[in-house]
Amino acid sequence: MNGARAFLRAFALPYAFLSVLAVIAAFPLFWIVVSSLKSAPELASDPLAFWPRTPTLEHYRHVLFDLGAIVNLGNSLIISTSTTVLTILVSAPAAYGIVRFYPRVGQRLTQILISTYMVPPILLAVPYAIIMITLGLSNTYVGLVLAYLSFSIPYAVWMLTAFYQTVPVEIEEAAYVDGAGRLRTFISVASPIVLPGIVATAIYTFINAFNEFLFALLFINSSSKMPIAVALYSLGGSEVLDWGAMMAASVVVVVPSIVFFLFIQKYIAAGLAEGSVK
Amino acid sequence: MSTDLKDRSRIWFVLPAMLVVLALLIYPVLSSIYFSFTSRHLLRAAYDLVGLRNFVFVLSSADFWDAFANSIKWTVGSVAGQLAVGLLAALALEKVPRFSGLYRILLIIPWAFPAIVIAFAWRWIFNDVYGFLPNLLTALGISEGNISFLANPAFVFATVVGINIWFGAPLFIINILAALKTVPRDQYEAALIDGASVGQRFRYITVPHIKRVVGLLLILRTIWVFNNFELLFLITGGGPAGLTTTLPIFAYRTGWGLRQLGAASAITVLLLAFLLAGAALAFRMINRWERSVAR
Repeated sequence: MNGARAFLRAFALPYAFLSVLAVIAAFPLFWIVVSSLKSAPELASDPLAFWPRTPTLEHYRHVLFDLGAIVNLGNSLIISTSTTVLTILVSAPAAYGIVRFYPRVGQRLTQILISTYMVPPILLAVPYAIIMITLGLSNTYVGLVLAYLSFSIPYAVWMLTAFYQTVPVEIEEAAYVDGAGRLRTFISVASPIVLPGIVATAIYTFINAFNEFLFALLFINSSSKMPIAVALYSLGGSEVLDWGAMMAASVVVVVPSIVFFLFIQKYIAAGLAEGSVK
Repeated sequence: MSTDLKDRSRIWFVLPAMLVVLALLIYPVLSSIYFSFTSRHLLRAAYDLVGLRNFVFVLSSADFWDAFANSIKWTVGSVAGQLAVGLLAALALEKVPRFSGLYRILLIIPWAFPAIVIAFAWRWIFNDVYGFLPNLLTALGISEGNISFLANPAFVFATVVGINIWFGAPLFIINILAALKTVPRDQYEAALIDGASVGQRFRYITVPHIKRVVGLLLILRTIWVFNNFELLFLITGGGPAGLTTTLPIFAYRTGWGLRQLGAASAITVLLLAFLLAGAALAFRMINRWERSVAR
């Protein structure tokens, strides 16, 4: 009895607090899923119903095929994959190079990252818009991917530096002795060791590109090339809102994102906590 | 192969990234500064140098100062809330003996939401006709008739800040939790033996170990929230009546609504200058902390 009371005193408050927070954190996800499965009349008639009376996938069919969201998902996939591949190809050598050859840059890397981070995307949007018109890149995947590299590469270099720092230099020295050049050592000795970190960085880059909105809104104007975030925006701007379709589209976009995030959260946290560069 | 040649190969590792930063960040920033002194129009190629005209126009506009005030309110409210929730949740997660993994998963969910889905989900939950929350409050008798949280000037700001806290707290939770794991257990035990109170243990053992991470998070989040365009643009569109129009939205309207890229550049350059000044201050603080932690 006494033990139970002590237990309550020690843990009841944290548990209560966490439970309230968890409900608030998870409720929107739960609610968009439930709403996406309700029929249109039910959405309007019973706003408090916790479960659809007759679950239907009609909204999913409508938004994906009638409204063509599947095409926009494909566009997002192309744009995000290209951004991710280019980002890793540029950032991994840079991070490795900073760790091995330019440690003094490494010491300042967090400051450098924060300086690049400080540039408002809306500031970049003006010169980007002008350059894209001049080079004929408006309304192209290439233009948008280039714009995405502006935020993805600094962050990826910063994340990857933390991972390459964990590679013991002795292992590389052994490879040097065996006659491997710098590039070989980087590709076949150092990078395989930090592969989980590279994967985490790639996923993070992918999600950020997939979710980006401002540049996509400004630089892509034909609906056949729009990534999903902007296509959804136009869905939310019509006179009579089709909430069922909006909820179904939201679920399609957010669920993969959540799954990926659960995978990589510990890597993202590790970067800041260990102070990638101090 | 000579070592000399090998030495030169070092630069190739970092050169592409340097070029990207140069072409996609440094050059555009300089070019924005230049455009802020011109009459650049979105659709016309010809433009003139107009000196400080854009800055005079912007700084003498009441809309700019309203947007500036909104930006400050939005940033301070959001970041302070995110830190408070994040810190308390991380401390609670450290304390509970069981299910902390499950709570972590649930608490992290908002972080994965793209801005457009944040906007759709919350606009739907707060919808004044079909929304869950207004109907719930009415059903419980707390409100007479549905409250329109996102259109009513009395509620809108608190509502959007609340949404931003919901979205941003997970970043604080996860990072502070990771920092808490670096606190050596034996220090707590020693403090307990010495009879230190909860408050003293937090202040003298926990805080020094998480200070750096919290400082970095505060800087990164403050910049992010201050620069963020899409959350408010997608949730309220800057309304009602401009009440949630922040500087990035104001710059967007000027550049793409009015097509005045020169004036828009002046706004974004002021935005950057303000951030730079703030960051310089913040860094001096962090450096002082680091020196004090450096033993």
